[in-house]
Amino acid sequence: MLKEEIKKALEHPVISKALTNFYEAYVVAREKAYTGLDFEEIRNEIVRVKSYAAEHFDELIKKFTEQATKRGAKVFYTKDPKEVINYVLEVAKAHNVKTIVKSKSMATEEIHLNKHLQEAGIAVYETDLGEWIIQLAGQRPSHMVLPAIHLTRYEVSDIFTKKVDAVEPDIKKMVKFARKNLRDKFLKADLGITGANIAVAETGSIVIFTNEGNARLVLTLPKVHIAVVGIEKLVDKLEDIDPIVKALPRNATAQPITTYVSFITGKREHWDGTKKEVHIILFDNGRSEMAKDPVFKEALQCIRCASCLNVCPVFRLISGLVFGRVYTGGIGTILTVWTEGLKATKDIQNLCIQCGNCVKICPGKINIPDLILEIRRRLAEEEGLPLKVKAIYSVVNNRKLFHTALRMASKLQKPFKQGPFIRHLPLAFAELTQERSLPAIADKPFRDQVKKIKQPEGKEKVAFFAGCLIDFAYPEIGEALVKLLNRAGIRVIFPQEQTCCGAPALYNGVMDVAANNMLQNLKALEQENPDFILSACPTCTLVLKKKGLLALRNQKVSPELIAKAEKMAEKVIDASYFIHKLIKEGRITFSKPLEEEFTYHDPCHLKRSLNIWQEPRESLQKAGLKLKEMFESDICCGMGGSYSLKFPEISVKILERKLKNIQDTGANLVCTDCPGCIMQIRGGADKKGLAFKVKHSLEVLAERL
Amino acid sequence: MFELFKEKASALMAEVYSFKNRKEALEFIKGFIKENTSSEDKKSVVWYDTWFLDGERKEDLLADLPQITFEFTPEIASQAKIGINEVDGAIAESGSLIEVSNHIQKRLVSSLPEIHIAILPKSRIFPDLKTALRSFNLTNTPYVTLISGPSRTADIERVLTIGVHGPERVIIVCVENL
Ligand code: SF4
Ligand code: SF4
Repeated sequence: MLKEEIKKALEHPVISKALTNFYEAYVVAREKAYTGLDFEEIRNEIVRVKSYAAEHFDELIKKFTEQATKRGAKVFYTKDPKEVINYVLEVAKAHNVKTIVKSKSMATEEIHLNKHLQEAGIAVYETDLGEWIIQLAGQRPSHMVLPAIHLTRYEVSDIFTKKVDAVEPDIKKMVKFARKNLRDKFLKADLGITGANIAVAETGSIVIFTNEGNARLVLTLPKVHIAVVGIEKLVDKLEDIDPIVKALPRNATAQPITTYVSFITGKREHWDGTKKEVHIILFDNGRSEMAKDPVFKEALQCIRCASCLNVCPVFRLISGLVFGRVYTGGIGTILTVWTEGLKATKDIQNLCIQCGNCVKICPGKINIPDLILEIRRRLAEEEGLPLKVKAIYSVVNNRKLFHTALRMASKLQKPFKQGPFIRHLPLAFAELTQERSLPAIADKPFRDQVKKIKQPEGKEKVAFFAGCLIDFAYPEIGEALVKLLNRAGIRVIFPQEQTCCGAPALYNGVMDVAANNMLQNLKALEQENPDFILSACPTCTLVLKKKGLLALRNQKVSPELIAKAEKMAEKVIDASYFIHKLIKEGRITFSKPLEEEFTYHDPCHLKRSLNIWQEPRESLQKAGLKLKEMFESDICCGMGGSYSLKFPEISVKILERKLKNIQDTGANLVCTDCPGCIMQIRGGADKKGLAFKVKHSLEVLAERL
Repeated sequence: MFELFKEKASALMAEVYSFKNRKEALEFIKGFIKENTSSEDKKSVVWYDTWFLDGERKEDLLADLPQITFEFTPEIASQAKIGINEVDGAIAESGSLIEVSNHIQKRLVSSLPEIHIAILPKSRIFPDLKTALRSFNLTNTPYVTLISGPSRTADIERVLTIGVHGPERVIIVCVENL
């Protein structure tokens, strides 16, 4: 099961180390490979080219077939995996094929072609070095582009020695060994099977990228060539390949160009003077259905570069091995919906922590976390929720009940509470406090405390949306914000009817509860007609401002309510941004600009969804603090809302890295702008007995007024 | 343009040389062959020639360098140390060679031996891929390859290793006046 696979991967001696080392080098090298080029421009081109193709599949399939047929290739289009297998088997039979050489093709993996060929008594050799190793070992690839990254040279040498011939664990020697052994297979093979990276409709050409040169030999040496090409590889015009040729190698392996880019157009000659036979199988397997789906068609912009896997904080811990599917990682989960069905993603879709790190790097501009959320929503709709989860949301759905429960929890926690933390919980809940302490629920929530704060009489008034964590665990953050705003002469109102922003429900695909939360908050917040609505939790800000509107639309609430919600959304601002503005305008000044070093952790939603990251740094520096940037300041801390409950083992590993990066700066203070991140980082630091303080930027600013 | 091409191709670990004319280029190639193969080693150099040796007496060349063969099967090319052909163009922006091969032999010499010597007319260097694609009629050409440096892999422990299935050295012989 998934949990066991995760355990195995996390305990694996190589996987996460190899992926992390690769990632660190990759980020720098990729940046360098793009010097002088405009990545945004290139990816806009890719989106244009690929989305055009997806909207015109029928037309492009027809055009490609005509053009390639005219030039002597045989083209076969099918939706059905079985037909692909039968077609290949028939060609093999007609030519009395004994040996096949293959260059990497994901489309054939989708249908487990090798297995079927071997069952028919044909020897099949993968010729990409990594794929060959994996094939010999009888394993699954751990990464789309680096299939054998989980193996050490010693393991590779063992595999070779056992399955082929003795060879020392010396990389250079093993590469030579592969050259020699596979060369033989190339020369003997009767049939070559490839995939394609691009198929050009206008000319009927297929384009294949390889670094090793194996595809060239597969294309050149055997008398018969079959290309199995997913229809998402189609582009209309020859010039459309330009942005893909530029982005694919740079994003995949940080190379400026792949060593060999081969264009095959129609029939070509065999070395003995006869003509070669060329078959191109255009394979659908759910892709044209996908193109018709208004949400998922975006995923057809994927060029299979795997950079989203490289930068994913979850993937680099667990690798593709955990997914147990042909396509892995976030994008793999999305593709699996179409190649294997929605249900096949039931467990693996949970693995995405929604950090958004993949979005900024994807050359196809695919919003992977949003599409995964859509999977969650559809699963919740189709499969229904487990009873336990349902019970929780029915409480969250009812503000009074929810808040009463929280107040009760505050009393019940007494025996476990030690200062501001809960360090151990009994039995079933123990897992939650194993690696991180939990914050104790405050004796008095912010909603009670705020009543005692005397507000200035000024004209300006803003509403504060606290969110559950600030309200019930960290009321001091709310107080800090009020203090800062009051200093600028702004009155803060706290609508008591406000409730959970709806993020927990939303991020678990429970749209009705999310929409209901949104409506309750809308009603509470608009009542006093504030100038602005501030939140000091970026996830709440994001939900009120953007995501909640999606939930409302999804639940088909009335257009009037949606219009109202949109109007409210315009007023929603993250406190970090608003306070920065007040500081810049000179409306907030600091009388105690205490010099202190700090490092800053960027909350995922603040940086990547709201594009705020400079502002809080500047505010803190204005207050006299000195910034010491940490490595990977904008990589997730591992909290991810309920993710840390679902996968505490992954969450904690991500956290450990964050803690180390913080420690490495030597700063005694880490600031951030999200109560969730504070809970995670503070909890981890407390458990490990680390000395640094973790604070919300607003608290630090308020202390210096 | 040549300078940019040279810079980019060298960064990809191709070795770029430039010569004023055909004669100088041929002398270089002959010298390279002598240095890297022995005349005892029959068929250690496979050469697919369509114009470069026009006007040369191939018999004299073969007498001087008996290790060269102009006729070969895939097996022979696979055993050869050096493969020589003329390429049809290059792309400055990426340091790539453009090999248009109507003839399979032309492809064998650049994909099977350990060393590929590519003869490139200097006038055929295009600034970028887009311009290059426009000047090749792909619809008439069954097989075109962009070659950017030697064959490489990093599949074992991410260690970059040169020369897996294709050549481990790519020598580009650029000729100015043809
Ligand atoms: S989703 Fe984007 S980043 Fe991931 S493989 Fe596809 S194109 Fe590359
Ligand atoms: S959003 Fe984050 S966790 Fe999810 S796939 Fe992208 S990088 Fe991975």
